Amino acid sequence: MTIKVLAFAGSPRRNGNSETLLDWVLASMAEDPEVAIEKVPLTEANINICRGCNACEKLNKCIQRDGMDIYHDKIIDADIILLSSPIFCMGIAALPKALIDRMQVFRSRKFVLKLPIVPPERKGKRLGAFLASAGQDWPHVFDAAIPSVKCFYHVIDIRDADISYLMINHVDEKGAIDKHPTAKVDATKLGKTIIAELKKRLAA
Amino acid sequence: MTVTVLGISGSPHRHGNTETLLDSFLDGARSAGATVEKVVLKDLDYSACRGCNACHKDGNCIVKDDAIPLFERMMVADCVAVASPIYSMGITAQLKGFIDRGQFLWARRFVTKTLEFSPEHLARHKGIFISTAGQSWSHVFDGAYPSLTALFHDAGFEYYDNIVANNMDEYKGIKNHPTAMNDAFLKGQQVVAVLETQKKQ
Repeated sequence: MTIKVLAFAGSPRRNGNSETLLDWVLASMAEDPEVAIEKVPLTEANINICRGCNACEKLNKCIQRDGMDIYHDKIIDADIILLSSPIFCMGIAALPKALIDRMQVFRSRKFVLKLPIVPPERKGKRLGAFLASAGQDWPHVFDAAIPSVKCFYHVIDIRDADISYLMINHVDEKGAIDKHPTAKVDATKLGKTIIAELKKRLAA
Repeated sequence: MTVTVLGISGSPHRHGNTETLLDSFLDGARSAGATVEKVVLKDLDYSACRGCNACHKDGNCIVKDDAIPLFERMMVADCVAVASPIYSMGITAQLKGFIDRGQFLWARRFVTKTLEFSPEHLARHKGIFISTAGQSWSHVFDGAYPSLTALFHDAGFEYYDNIVANNMDEYKGIKNHPTAMNDAFLKGQQVVAVLETQKKQ
């Protein structure tokens, strides 16, 4: 049995705080020999913005030909989907928002065309996690990002209860997260928890 | 002195519900005597903020494209109306891409401390958010407001009002909405009247 993990690193800054958080989760997951990880930095993913043309409501596919052609299938195929983003201007960064907006094709499939996203036997056997960092120290700095993150997961049959969150505020300059008292420990623990939970679901 | 109003359309879909609502607001402003301009983000060439924090050193963005000139244009207007449809419970990636590039203004305010707006300046500069959503939920716009707050405050605008209309899927378009188009027109007239009075003081 292979557990497929697809991880989108959403920050335009490579190896910054949110990506480090993601890397810690992935490193902890990778200790399990059954886990296969694919990490996708969105800076290299060639994902255009959604044009709002609504063609997917009829065609069941997007009319744009770009990186999403590859990630569409990988998103369906994965058991665990991770997304990381910094908070910019009180919201998710533009790069991951572009990915989320392009999930419209799944929304059309699910809610307009009423077609399945994953085969029935895989429902409830997929998990997600959102990893975020913010420079601001306000506790509510992540609030506006969460509804869009939920959309990202809902349209691919990952329910609210199956999404985990690890969001660290008050880290701004590159490397600031390394000095955070709990972030690494929590990320490592989260990686283990998600893999254990998924194994439990797959065995059920 | 004429009131100047800048409309910024953040929809990738030309002449859709949100841009139509923005147009109604701008028509109202024009009818009240304002000088009105509209910029469509889709027609501009700008990249996402790189998060490089170079602007934290001297308050300037190192990326040279259409984003920074638009902030400069925005900051000489009396009123800015920023429009975006709701996609996936937030503003579009296109508008978020523009707003994120405003980091250099934030850096000027809080890092280099070279930019400060007086309460009088803020009162005389009004920011308005215009949006539509397919969803019927009343909270569908909530995820958008904080980023607009950030944009308006960093560019020296009071966050004056929201002109929003949900449930577009049900109405089959903004023109079938019973009140939104007229409300937007009236709000365009009203904000210009308010700004004109302030200019005379």
